[in-house]
Amino acid sequence: MASVRFNHVFKKFGDFTALNNLDITVEDKEFLVLVGPSGCGKTTALRCLAGLEDVTEGDIFIGENRVNDTPPKDRDIAMVFQSYALYPHMTVFDNMAFGLKLRGVKKEEINRRVNEAAGILGLEQLLKRRPRELSGGQRQRVAVGRAIVREPKVFLFDEPLSNLDAKLRVQTRAQISKLHQSLQTTFIYVTHDQTEAMTMASRIAVMNKGVLQQLDTPQALYDRPDNLFVAGFIGSPAMNFFDAKIRKADKEAFVEMNGFSMKIPANKAEKYMAYDGKPVIFGIRPEDIHNPEFLPSNINAAEVEAKVDIIELMGNEINLNLVSGTHNYVARVDPRTRFTIGEKVKLVFNMDNMHIFDPSLDSENPVAVR
Amino acid sequence: MQRVLITPKWMRKAVPRFFQYLILIIASILIFVPIVILMFGSVKTTGQMYSRPYDIPNPPQWDNIINILTTPAFWGMMKNSLIVMISTTTGTVIICAMVAFVLARLEFRGKNFIFNLFTLGLMFPINVAILPVYFVLRQITQMGIPLINTLIGVILVQIAFQLSGNILILKGFFTAVPTELQDAAYIDGCNNFDFFWRIMLPLVKPSLAAVAALVMIVSWNDLLVPLIVLNSNTLWTLPLGTMQFQGQYGQDLALISAFVMLSSIPTIVFYFFAEKQIVAGLTAGAVKG
Repeated sequence: MASVRFNHVFKKFGDFTALNNLDITVEDKEFLVLVGPSGCGKTTALRCLAGLEDVTEGDIFIGENRVNDTPPKDRDIAMVFQSYALYPHMTVFDNMAFGLKLRGVKKEEINRRVNEAAGILGLEQLLKRRPRELSGGQRQRVAVGRAIVREPKVFLFDEPLSNLDAKLRVQTRAQISKLHQSLQTTFIYVTHDQTEAMTMASRIAVMNKGVLQQLDTPQALYDRPDNLFVAGFIGSPAMNFFDAKIRKADKEAFVEMNGFSMKIPANKAEKYMAYDGKPVIFGIRPEDIHNPEFLPSNINAAEVEAKVDIIELMGNEINLNLVSGTHNYVARVDPRTRFTIGEKVKLVFNMDNMHIFDPSLDSENPVAVR
Repeated sequence: MQRVLITPKWMRKAVPRFFQYLILIIASILIFVPIVILMFGSVKTTGQMYSRPYDIPNPPQWDNIINILTTPAFWGMMKNSLIVMISTTTGTVIICAMVAFVLARLEFRGKNFIFNLFTLGLMFPINVAILPVYFVLRQITQMGIPLINTLIGVILVQIAFQLSGNILILKGFFTAVPTELQDAAYIDGCNNFDFFWRIMLPLVKPSLAAVAALVMIVSWNDLLVPLIVLNSNTLWTLPLGTMQFQGQYGQDLALISAFVMLSSIPTIVFYFFAEKQIVAGLTAGAVKG
């Protein structure tokens, strides 16, 4: 077991910077998820940690050891790949035992560890089969088994659920979380799926264009995103953004959008006063827009009129695509809502959960005003 | 009113099928007729062969075959051919596999240059290069390493001329193995050699078999290299022997047919057993995970 530290790591491929000053410390026994869109550098970070890529600048530590120059086999890590990367010519047993054999572990010990891992993962009946005789889910479990038997300090997962169907993905997600609890080892997990990240991680590192955007617990990322990118990436459907202006009136403050205006709750007004008259971006999550008929109690509500454009019935909720003035946005409302397409309706924004982003410092990725 | 012609479904399938079969039958006839004449001729008298080359031998004349099989020189040539073929094949497969692996999977400066050098070899047919090769062999022999008039000389030259094409073939197969397998193997504890030996070689086994088969056939049938390198008739291989035999028994076509027939048997038997591997090896596109 060990902590992992990326210390100001840069990775360049020619002119392209895949990792730009990555600085992350993963605590011992932590489950850290690296999440971000394709090409954000999350897999590169994992490959640098595994020793499959050399870093251009900076240091990587596993425990107390700087591992920049340590070959992959000596880093005491195990990795589960997206394609599982099972050796096609070996049986399940041999696939799992291969790493141990190379390390000269005794036969009895290999048998014990492989059988134990097979027991945990329900692979006992499959040990003599070859990968091509297994289903996707079974192959995925073998890949995890191959990592477990090594008893490494750090487990690395590179989008291991991407090739599974939706149902199996949910099951396997739970299995991996359980595995983390039982093994009590450091897990670093790469995915582009924010649901996986939110459900499994102790902490999530959100990355974009090689830069770490925010590193925090799933709840904190959801509640207090540092910038527009994180706010838009975490949460599904994504947060709604509106170009807006702050207007101060006595001790009250308002967000003004093209076509409508909303009062900022008194407890939040003070911190936005300084932005009086300045352009900002107003953010509200779809789940914070309610049908007034089914309004939760004790919220600072602000009413808005909208035209219903599309209705998506999800069973446990309804997603509405709405138009107010020139703004298109999405609301996730109570399933008892009975709106019709084209209808003009009144909705309520929960202003307690509003977000304001300041584009003056970084127009591409405005920073949250706290 | 416009008339619409509708071709019946059976006809749409049957016409192309007919031409496919026609081409196959013509190709088969072109290949098999000389072989059949050879086979029949080997158990006929020369007179019968001249007068009725296509007739089934009745009764078969086994004298030609017995004559050749009881000649010690034939068995000597058979032994030499086998030594050359096995050594050339083993050497070529080992070297090609290692070079192809390095060129396909490892990163180092000058890799492309080296690969281009190998592919450049394809542009020089052995007939063009044989004279310079002979001079090199003679020079090395003069330095005290006997390569002229030795089987090792033949083997080395044959291996050298087999490298380019087969490295190219094998590199394709090594490249097709997914990169993630390489990553997994290195994390599991492999070094480059372990990865080559324990993962790559078993995965590309069918292609190695295919390459081996191709090299065997080329080596077995090679006339030019033994002709240039070997002087002593105790070292001759079967193709050289066939040529010499033709010179000696130019009129006795039946005896020559028997000699050629017997010389070809090992490659025919080998191909019969290895045919599946050869076809699988040459047509396999990728390694399934």
